[in-house]
Amino acid sequence: MTGSRWLAAIPQTNSGELITFIMAASSPIGELRTSLHDESVRIRREFELTGDGRAAVSGRTRLVEEILARLWRDIICADESKPANFSLVATGGFGRGWLFPYSDIDILFLFGDRESEQEFKDPVRRFSQELWDLRLKLSPASRTLSECERYDPNNTEFTISLLDCRYLAGDRDLFRRLHDKVIPKLVMKESKALLQGLAEVTRERYTKQGMTLYHLEPNIKEVPGGLRDCNVASWLALISAIDKLRDWPDASSLRAPVRKQLDAALEFLMSARCFLHFRQGRDDNTLSWEAQDEAASRRIGVPDTENLSAADWMRIYFGHARSVQRTVGQLLQEIPEAWSALYRQVQSWRSRLTTADFSVVDGLIFLQQPSALQDPEVLLRLFHFMAHHGLRLSATTEYRIEQALPALAATPPRGAELWLYLQETLLQPYAADALRAMHSLRLLPLLLPEFKLIDSLVVRDFYHRFTVDEHSFIAIESLHRLKQSQSEWDKRYAELLGELENPELLYLALLLHDTGKGLPADEHIVGSLEVANRAMDRLDVDPRERAEVLFLIASHLELSAALRRDIFDPANVAAFAEKIGTPERLKMLALLTYADIKAVNPEALTPWKAENIWQLYMAADNYLNRSADQRVHTDVNDEKLARLRSLAPVTGNKFRAFLEGFPQRYLLVHTAEEVMRHLQMADELTGDPVQVELKRGRHWYELTLVTTDRPALFAKLAGVLAAWGMNIVKANAFSNQAGIVVDTLYFTDRFRTLELNLSEWDRFRRSVASVLLGEADLDKMLRDRQRSEKTGIAKVKVETKIEFDDASSPTTTIVQVIAQDRPRLLHRIASCFSAQQCNIEIALIDTEGQMAIDTFYLTSSARKLSAEHCRTLEKFLTHELKAE
Amino acid sequence: MMKLEAIIQNSKLEAVKAALQEIGVEGMTVLEVRGHGRQKGHTEVYRGREYSVDLIPKTKIEMVLPDALVEKAEQAILSAARTGKIGDGKIFRTRIEEAIRIRNEERGEGAL
Repeated sequence: MTGSRWLAAIPQTNSGELITFIMAASSPIGELRTSLHDESVRIRREFELTGDGRAAVSGRTRLVEEILARLWRDIICADESKPANFSLVATGGFGRGWLFPYSDIDILFLFGDRESEQEFKDPVRRFSQELWDLRLKLSPASRTLSECERYDPNNTEFTISLLDCRYLAGDRDLFRRLHDKVIPKLVMKESKALLQGLAEVTRERYTKQGMTLYHLEPNIKEVPGGLRDCNVASWLALISAIDKLRDWPDASSLRAPVRKQLDAALEFLMSARCFLHFRQGRDDNTLSWEAQDEAASRRIGVPDTENLSAADWMRIYFGHARSVQRTVGQLLQEIPEAWSALYRQVQSWRSRLTTADFSVVDGLIFLQQPSALQDPEVLLRLFHFMAHHGLRLSATTEYRIEQALPALAATPPRGAELWLYLQETLLQPYAADALRAMHSLRLLPLLLPEFKLIDSLVVRDFYHRFTVDEHSFIAIESLHRLKQSQSEWDKRYAELLGELENPELLYLALLLHDTGKGLPADEHIVGSLEVANRAMDRLDVDPRERAEVLFLIASHLELSAALRRDIFDPANVAAFAEKIGTPERLKMLALLTYADIKAVNPEALTPWKAENIWQLYMAADNYLNRSADQRVHTDVNDEKLARLRSLAPVTGNKFRAFLEGFPQRYLLVHTAEEVMRHLQMADELTGDPVQVELKRGRHWYELTLVTTDRPALFAKLAGVLAAWGMNIVKANAFSNQAGIVVDTLYFTDRFRTLELNLSEWDRFRRSVASVLLGEADLDKMLRDRQRSEKTGIAKVKVETKIEFDDASSPTTTIVQVIAQDRPRLLHRIASCFSAQQCNIEIALIDTEGQMAIDTFYLTSSARKLSAEHCRTLEKFLTHELKAE
Repeated sequence: MMKLEAIIQNSKLEAVKAALQEIGVEGMTVLEVRGHGRQKGHTEVYRGREYSVDLIPKTKIEMVLPDALVEKAEQAILSAARTGKIGDGKIFRTRIEEAIRIRNEERGEGAL
């Protein structure tokens, strides 16, 4: 520096600082600082021009090596190859030659013995101090050679860092002993412990990162599939290779195709990390949204591409991260030594799950016949198997699937059969893992192309932590995990989940509910509905199921919106409940909201929120059960009525007369097609006064009765089912203004009478009609049944509760009976009502495990029950239900 | 400087936030809390079981303000949060000794 520039450069400050400045400028450290600064600036400029992360990292590595060499000469020994018994060794990232702009510098002060360590204690301190003064973040370790021979299970990281050791200065012979003898010997002796330790450390890191790579703002070093995993892949392969060869391998221990894939990912990640370091001016590896924007505009890691949006750049990132994570996963699989003893024991037990199609070895699924994947059904069964047992695919199986995909893409499965497999898979406890595997192997977008819209999609949202696809998988997973959870709230929601009639529809809704976010629109729900419709066309989902899924998607934010109002205000509860319409939809929506919030981020669903959702659910459910008698008026302009009118253009007055007076609930629980069928059955009553239809549903049998109302009708109907040994699980009973009754009973066939004897179907139907027409002796039938049956002992005791509500309905008295579910219960309750001159206007029957929950809307002489009548009825019912 | 702590109905959060922002309150902390004053709990009977909530879910907003803004902020909260029913909540005011901005150690009202 010339004199005038010297003077200009002197800070205008106190004399102490001035002296320091002068000494600094003219001292070796001053020169080093200048070199470091100038060269760092040059490396940065080069990176700004080329975006080449690997070159930047190599450049910085060389720069730091030169500085260390210079300091070694200045402080430790003028001859770089001395002194004896003391070496400077690069380890970790520095040893690999990967020094990122602001990463720590991992070095090892290696001594031949304790005496050398003591002798050089002060010089080492000064050496380190100089580096700190140069603002180089040192991560030093100090060991004797014999200390390096011992593996400390509490410090796996140190031993692993030795795998990348590289000579820098000092006693070369000492270093050779470390590299050529000590490390291979240590690895051979402790390979199992090292692999287990490395696997454990990796698992801990994955757990901290939420077990997913799909973060909206990922830390590209720590996240699964990030730079750390690139290292893990190399270490796993290296440890196994040294163990086998009993020496360092000559070339990379990874197979060539794996190496190629990893290298491509590494190029990208290195450039991304350099970009982040230069941008933030520190060792910050988080790809914030702003960083994503800038990285995309500068095409970091992808210099030869056209202009990219941030979302597309992130998709490239996730693609690389996925391949790295898969590689690590496969390597961990292939190295059984990497597993703990307990894990091996469990996986060994799981080998018993082997089937004709799939063998299970050490917890991994293999194909019995690799060529079997030519049959798409085998592929679908494979993922169902995976979802059911919670197993993982072996690397070989994944490879086979990848090979089979092009042929599958030519004629992908679709239609009802695909829907059947998909829904069965969605219902399995490990459905989310199976979906993730299908997604990762590019099978899911093949079966449901609509899902491509949200593949690795980053949506900028303060609360969400994961990409949209991962959010959907986590939501599904949250519901499946309810059953195992010990938390009070999870147990309540688990009960609700157990009550759903069609849980697969809820899971499908969760899978598709945010697909609209992949479309350019302000309001994603509209987009999601459009996408869901297309997907359900592809799956041939029937209209009733489709309506439920679309309802859930359309309403998936309703409950959250309702929570922002006063949930203890009856008017708000009523408004919300009426929007939802039925208890079944309410249950599904409560669960969907629960899962959706839980999947936003791990802290999103606080107990406070879970409680509020529950409160609103309960209040709305109670409202729906106590407001079922709001009647249909056919002159009202209503979407459902419009659809019905379009299906029945010729029925005209008959249609109006049939519908008039049914409660709104009737239209909500039956599809338009079912209502038309009921109308047809009502039309045929003149020829046959008792119309009975019987069909087999997925979970239950369904009996539909259309007839004219008469005393004790419901009691007799319940009675004849009880006499046949049927267990009524659910029922809806409605009547219209003209006195036509439509009763739908869902029941299980306890003695498999109908299941095993097709001919009994007809006899059963005729039996129902005979009893209702008074042609058969119901009491005798019931006595015969009672004689032949043994009463079992209930596992769970349910106390009988009878509640009267005179306020909720303007025209009826609502009675809710909670009791131990048992044969003939409904018949006995309904018979009590009949005996007490009560008419059942509406019946809503439900069963929760061993608990029967039956709600009746009663009148007597077309009026509400008096207080006296209620008291008498309660006494009668209590007595009747106690006696057994 | 004063600290205001307002416990309000959950349904009033957006309105209170908007009202405070309108008068220039730039920082606040929002917490999900439970409690009750004279408003008694709520009991819902669901399927024969009683679910009692003695501590009602509420929202608490905290903010530290320069003295000049305190009265305006209190009025804004009162107007936005009031329904006239029991359970509307309360506002508490305490004096604050010092405020320090962590980023640059700025102190006093300038740190708010």
